[in-house]
Amino acid sequence: MTALAIRDGLRRVTVAQGETRVSDETDVVLTTVLGSCVAACFYDPVARVGGINHYLLAQGSASDTASMQRYGVYAMEVLINAMLAMGASRHRLKARIFGGASMRAGFRDIGGTNIAFARTFLRQERIPLVGEDVAGTGARRVEFRPALGLARCRTVTDAAPPVVIRTVAPPASTGDVEFF
Amino acid sequence: MDTILARGPSVPKTIMTVDDSPSMRMLLRVALSDLGYSVVEAEDGVHALETLDGMTPDLLITDINMPRMDGFGLIEKVRSQGQRSLPILVLTTESSDEKKQRARDAGATGWIVKPFHPDKLAAAIRRVLH
Repeated sequence: MTALAIRDGLRRVTVAQGETRVSDETDVVLTTVLGSCVAACFYDPVARVGGINHYLLAQGSASDTASMQRYGVYAMEVLINAMLAMGASRHRLKARIFGGASMRAGFRDIGGTNIAFARTFLRQERIPLVGEDVAGTGARRVEFRPALGLARCRTVTDAAPPVVIRTVAPPASTGDVEFF
Repeated sequence: MDTILARGPSVPKTIMTVDDSPSMRMLLRVALSDLGYSVVEAEDGVHALETLDGMTPDLLITDINMPRMDGFGLIEKVRSQGQRSLPILVLTTESSDEKKQRARDAGATGWIVKPFHPDKLAAAIRRVLH
């Protein structure tokens, strides 16, 4: 469920794990809290359209590398397609990535896996990575104004990182085949 | 007298993948190569038509949302150019009935929802190729 709050004349939309949000409205702030997850913020400075996703690849059913890549590419494609539908152009996109912390010592570096995927994807897609605040051990709160391309990332101590409950949420019909 | 049918060397079937995402093309290339297929790639509908001018694949797998020419336009062009028997599978993040109907009307053979499942993809390909 996406939460909406109005403060300082701005509409703050909370983006949960597995969600994607895109907007071209100047009073919208897309916000999310990250632990091991990564959020990718994309922006087209000409169309003035931006969007954010919030994904986790390294847990649950998507535990092998090939599955993680398929789900990760899916998460990015959903975001890019939503932006293209609002007038953005793929070749103008710029990206920032946030999150990917190591939240629990002794566990597999899930955050590092999420960061590595994002960097590899952006390199393959030739989307410039213009900023990042990743890794470390603390939770982060990201606030992204999609129509302006402005992102702010703070380490948060007053909010627990989101509980990891699922991987990137593909449609229920994932991989289903329908013949005509 | 018994007749023995001689079989020549097995020639891999060729699949053309059309997707504007290099990452998705790479995932498909790996998956289809592992299944023993030969893969030809195009990055959008226009590029696919240019490539089809010089070869005929056994199967075409196309995305929908692409620059220059989307999947719907590509399917319509391929069919209007006389390629009636070439199987065409749509592979997309879209799942609306309206878009499925549009693909069906354009002449698509089937519809697969991303992220693809390797086993389901393999079964779909076998069904249209063999």
